[in-house]
Amino acid sequence: MTSEVQAARPSAVTPDRLEHSAAALRRRASRLKIVLGSVLAGVVVVPILLANVLPLPDPLEQDLSQRRLPPFTDGHLFGTDQLGRDLLSRILHGGQVSLTIGVLAVLVSGVVGVVAGAAAGYYGRWVDAVVSRLLEAQLSVPLLLLLLLVVALFGPSITVITLVIAFAQWPEPARLTRAMVLVEREKPYVAAARVLGLRRAGVLVRHVVPNIVNQVVVVMLLLLAQAVLLESALSFLGAGVERPHPTWGRIIADGQGYITTSWWLVTLTGLVIVLLVVGVNLLGDGLRDRVSRSRGGKGEPQ
Amino acid sequence: MARYLALRIAQSLLTVFLIVSTVFVLVRLAPGDPAAAVGGPLATTEDLQAIREEMGLVDSVPQQYWHFITGLLQGDLGMSYSFREPALDVVLERLPYTITLAGAAILLTALVAIPLGVFTARRANTGWDLGANVGTIAGQSMPEFWTGIMLLTLLAVVVPIFPASGFTTWSGLVLPAVTIALLQVALISRLVHREMAANLAAPYVTVARSRGSAERALTWRYAFANSSIPVLTALGTRFASMLNGVVVVEVVFAWPGIGSLVVRALETRDYPLIQATVLVTSLLAIGVQLLVDLLYPLLDPRVRVGKAVSR
Repeated sequence: MTSEVQAARPSAVTPDRLEHSAAALRRRASRLKIVLGSVLAGVVVVPILLANVLPLPDPLEQDLSQRRLPPFTDGHLFGTDQLGRDLLSRILHGGQVSLTIGVLAVLVSGVVGVVAGAAAGYYGRWVDAVVSRLLEAQLSVPLLLLLLLVVALFGPSITVITLVIAFAQWPEPARLTRAMVLVEREKPYVAAARVLGLRRAGVLVRHVVPNIVNQVVVVMLLLLAQAVLLESALSFLGAGVERPHPTWGRIIADGQGYITTSWWLVTLTGLVIVLLVVGVNLLGDGLRDRVSRSRGGKGEPQ
Repeated sequence: MARYLALRIAQSLLTVFLIVSTVFVLVRLAPGDPAAAVGGPLATTEDLQAIREEMGLVDSVPQQYWHFITGLLQGDLGMSYSFREPALDVVLERLPYTITLAGAAILLTALVAIPLGVFTARRANTGWDLGANVGTIAGQSMPEFWTGIMLLTLLAVVVPIFPASGFTTWSGLVLPAVTIALLQVALISRLVHREMAANLAAPYVTVARSRGSAERALTWRYAFANSSIPVLTALGTRFASMLNGVVVVEVVFAWPGIGSLVVRALETRDYPLIQATVLVTSLLAIGVQLLVDLLYPLLDPRVRVGKAVSR
């Protein structure tokens, strides 16, 4: 229909049609998710990273004459809590705890998951049997109870909470990696590398894993979102990093009793969590759409 | 079939045994003296020693374990320290509440998530699709304890429609079930969407359409029937994990179920109660998963129990 098309017969594929094709719509949707996700996550992450530099009151400084001030009073943007501490400062410092634990937990669970999943998928036989049994068993474990128990056992330090969350999360990268390696190991390049004399472990590490690592890394973002949620749930239940460190779950648990008179304690803290987690999830989802498009969009693990 | 079933049950029992043994060891490694928790701050050293003897805590850990296993086989899980009743009875008393809550939540989830997932899959790559996609991402990004507190404040305190806590009337079930369902709907509807979209794009649907089958039949009798197994599996797994205690939501709503019991048992170092809870909930969770597996042949005639369907 357009004049640029020089063919004798006008093509049915017009720019207008391309614009509205499913592929173009999908691409726009994933771009929208990536942009929106980055903005939402950035709005929370950047202030958290800058918390020590920003002109904020100390998160632990109490002032009993300034208890439970509503937002926007006396320079307290988010108001103050039941002990007169600045809520914004507490939320940002709590965010540092959450993000540290979240990032570390995802790194640990990612490494463990990829190693276990790749070994199970590539070597098969008894390695696969052991890993698959473990993955299955974890489904029937009363997980939260076990996590609370372990935190009670070893004390609520950042290390313990990180490891506990990593334990809860390793099945996801493991299952995904195993499934992808199972497909990958049947491809001709694996046989070719073997014929060229590379040992099995070498093929796995140098060729198979690099081919799948992109998709696993994208899933890590989604795991980070879950890790942040799990950390806040643990600290809500009293298994958070010990006082006086502010943590998101504990700010909400402590503020629960004042919800009718001081709504901001629970509401604003929760909104910050939601913003961050929605942002990270959107970003991860958008990136996954992009990465897994070539694989027919079937990359989503459960 | 019978052989498969026997094997599965044996495997499940072994898993439960391993879980229970792990927890047995873990609670005994944990710091904190259960005798001190029972005796209270005024107990003397002699009192504490007497309490420990009464609880069987003076024996060595292997002896305690042997005692625990022999008791287990006789259905005796010891007395709960804090309730002064057989631990098993305490757990079984709470169990109906958790089953009720989990059942209501999973029913609500299925009723909302399946139509939502099917609807958006029928409209793949439209604004509806994107909207639902972003909406479900938001749904799975909210901490349950926070949504719980917010719903509670809005619908039980500010506008008192529902009771704030506990389970005295059936309307008390609404808020906790909705809180759980908010997250679960997000997860399940995404799965339904994905499965439906894949099936609707499959050649057999195109063939059926070209033969003149109605869209409604294509959606439900063909595509949905073929999506039902993964969806049922996911619903079953979710339900099973809820039986392990919807801990956070039960704590927020002071729901008298397993979840709030667990938190209390951990606080008071109530070993028998922790063990009884773990035993009962893992048995139930594994039982539900087994049941779901056995339902497959009813949904898909190609599936024989014990054999995976090849696709």
